[in-house]
Amino acid sequence: MATLKEIKKKKGKGEEETTDLAIFVRTSSEDFSGWDRQKIVDALVRETYVDIDTAESISKEVQEQIAASKISVITTPLIRELVDAKLIERGLEDARRMHTRLGVPLYDVDHLILHPNKENANVPHGPEATNLTLAEGIKKEYALLNVFSQEIGDAHTRGDIHLHDLGFIDRPYCSGQSLEYIKRYGLSLPNSLSMAKPAKHPEVLLAHMVKFAAALQSHFAGAIGWDAITLFFAPYLVGKSDEEITQLAQMLIFEFSQQAVARGGQAIFTDINLYWEVPKHFENVPAIGPGGEFTGKTYSAYAREAQKFAWALFDVYKEGDGTGRPFFFPKPLVHITEKFFSTEGHQDFLYHICDVASEKGNTYFVFDRRSTAKISECCRLSFKLEAQDFADAMQPWKMRYCALQNVTINLPRLGYLSNGDDTKLFSKIAEFMEMAVKAHIEKKAFIEKLLSLGENGPLALLTMNKDGEPYLRMGRATYLIGMLGLNELVKIHTGKELHESKEAFKFGLKVISHMDLLAKKLSQKHQMRFVLEQTPAESTAYRFARLDLKYHSPQSGHVVKGDISKGEVYYTNSTYYAVSAPINPIERVIKEGLFHPRIEAGALTHIWLGEARPSKESLANFVVKIFRESLNDQVAFSPEFTTCISCGKTSRGLRESCIYCGSQNIEGITRITGYFTKISSWNKGKIGELRDRFRNEGYFEEAEKREIMA
Amino acid sequence: MGKVKLFWQSECPKCPQAKVVGNVLKKEGLEVIDYDIDTVDGLAEATYYGVLSTPTLIVEDPEGNPIADFRGTIPSPEEIREILLNDQEVRKRHQLPV
Repeated sequence: MATLKEIKKKKGKGEEETTDLAIFVRTSSEDFSGWDRQKIVDALVRETYVDIDTAESISKEVQEQIAASKISVITTPLIRELVDAKLIERGLEDARRMHTRLGVPLYDVDHLILHPNKENANVPHGPEATNLTLAEGIKKEYALLNVFSQEIGDAHTRGDIHLHDLGFIDRPYCSGQSLEYIKRYGLSLPNSLSMAKPAKHPEVLLAHMVKFAAALQSHFAGAIGWDAITLFFAPYLVGKSDEEITQLAQMLIFEFSQQAVARGGQAIFTDINLYWEVPKHFENVPAIGPGGEFTGKTYSAYAREAQKFAWALFDVYKEGDGTGRPFFFPKPLVHITEKFFSTEGHQDFLYHICDVASEKGNTYFVFDRRSTAKISECCRLSFKLEAQDFADAMQPWKMRYCALQNVTINLPRLGYLSNGDDTKLFSKIAEFMEMAVKAHIEKKAFIEKLLSLGENGPLALLTMNKDGEPYLRMGRATYLIGMLGLNELVKIHTGKELHESKEAFKFGLKVISHMDLLAKKLSQKHQMRFVLEQTPAESTAYRFARLDLKYHSPQSGHVVKGDISKGEVYYTNSTYYAVSAPINPIERVIKEGLFHPRIEAGALTHIWLGEARPSKESLANFVVKIFRESLNDQVAFSPEFTTCISCGKTSRGLRESCIYCGSQNIEGITRITGYFTKISSWNKGKIGELRDRFRNEGYFEEAEKREIMA
Repeated sequence: MGKVKLFWQSECPKCPQAKVVGNVLKKEGLEVIDYDIDTVDGLAEATYYGVLSTPTLIVEDPEGNPIADFRGTIPSPEEIREILLNDQEVRKRHQLPV
């Protein structure tokens, strides 16, 4: 608190100035200081490009204003605002931007502390989460003011594009990891209090993995994906009993599924990539065993242990947590390859993972056809392995990947802006893609600046160098360009949605082909790897729809999905068919899959099961059919659950009350974009989408009958 | 009669040979449509047919339904002609438009 007592004194020849104010100022360092006009001058000169005379003049005007106002309380933020107003009066917009104070209104802080964050359903509500949200808020403002140019910041704010994870501006987006790194080098992280040598026991290796994942989570904005974990654990499992392996599987899943592990109480968004077979590219790779020593064998010698571990993991998934709910994390991604079908026991394993898919929905089926291999992570992001990666596979600890940023393009906005004119539309797509590229270049420059600070910088962990190159291999980074609302763009442009006519569908393919070709051209031009990705768009689908209702009404009112009267509006994610489209699952998988070869960084089709519980045989047939007869990259089956907070039991389907005890104190659970979570944490747009989902619950039942008849 | 869709790209070593087959069929009066998959229209059409390698030839009936495809391999003009003539015969038998 400060008091202002104005003491005017005569200066010089009758000149009156309020230079010596008996005023106390509450500073941002929780202290009081006396009034000192020079501090305004110093800040202006230090932080902006204004000349000393202007700074002097502004400081005097502000001093006059404070003195004249008879203000009883003064804080440094208020002084700064007054100075900023003077900068604006002089037309010094750049200087005002540089002199801006970042912060949060009292009302907003109050709201944040009292109410849950709905932007990311993976963040629980609590003091630590509030800290995270507040920090994110300030870093978002910082990013828009100081990392990105005005043009890009405005494009984001308008909703032409969406810069993902602005609140995590000082870190890359997401990453793919190899367990081999910690097997070989132990847990030795910059700034850590103790260093651990390579693990000698599987439980210790798991502990290292979890701790490393937590460290990585605080250096990446998004998912942490792990490649072939059962295979890489396998040398540690030789001679272990089934019980011991099951115990390890339980530990792994519980460790990664527990909340409050690290950042703001947010579970680590973890993907584990699994194979039934030994992937071809690891067959002849020397295996690393306990103590980080090479075992003298290659990984092809450990197929049996890896399979046992994979089987045990799915046993745990099938059981669910203590109340029978599905585990939200880690997400298991099983790769279906040609070799899978020639590996002994594959049919039983396929039934096993299909059983889990039907029962709990955990399994993601990733289809690696022909010689393709990839590491998947995030909601659908995957890194396809190329020639250099297969060379790295001989030293798998080198196989670490990262996407530096994700920028999503608002496709329906392009439709409103082009008024049905093809030429204008395709030219606008190019314009928005160029904007996305510019945003990537700006973020890259910022991250490189942080990395250049080395071990004393904020990204020391990513600069550690144990194998001849920094942990984060910037030269191998990809830059994601996402798309949102292709279905609505096509409707605006052709009058039909993707599923409503062949012409509309082909037009959608043309848009994505154009984007794909542009991404390749821009990659060549800038020597950076720009790739298309199906953005998960948990909040972006809602944000773009709301912004278009604001800027493109009344047309957008006929286009956005959901219920406008309730504010539950959204656009259809990426290149998906409308979630409400009444089409059968196989047609959805095949048709949506046609887009997938154009979307290099990963794509996924959701099958909403609702209350249906197809047999494992029926789902297995379906999965094989997808592999053989479609180009679809990845499929997930999503059942719905109601868990009762009163009696602790979980039932199938979304209900108003518990079927066991009748309590209405219940929680709905299903998949939001690419992960399971509680529906109460969803934003309004996703709630609108959930209401619209076409579940086609009878499809698999009918398919089973047809098979029996045949 | 149906038509042939030929997908090619400039860097593909087998594509010139596929184009020769296409030209022979064109001279015989058959409808052959070329698609350069390095162009937007060509890539979009290739994506619709799930074309992952070049050259690819898709043979369609008069209603636009695919009746044969050659992916990464090159058929002879005779093979294509036979497929189209067979299809024409079948359609005549079933009194479908030819």
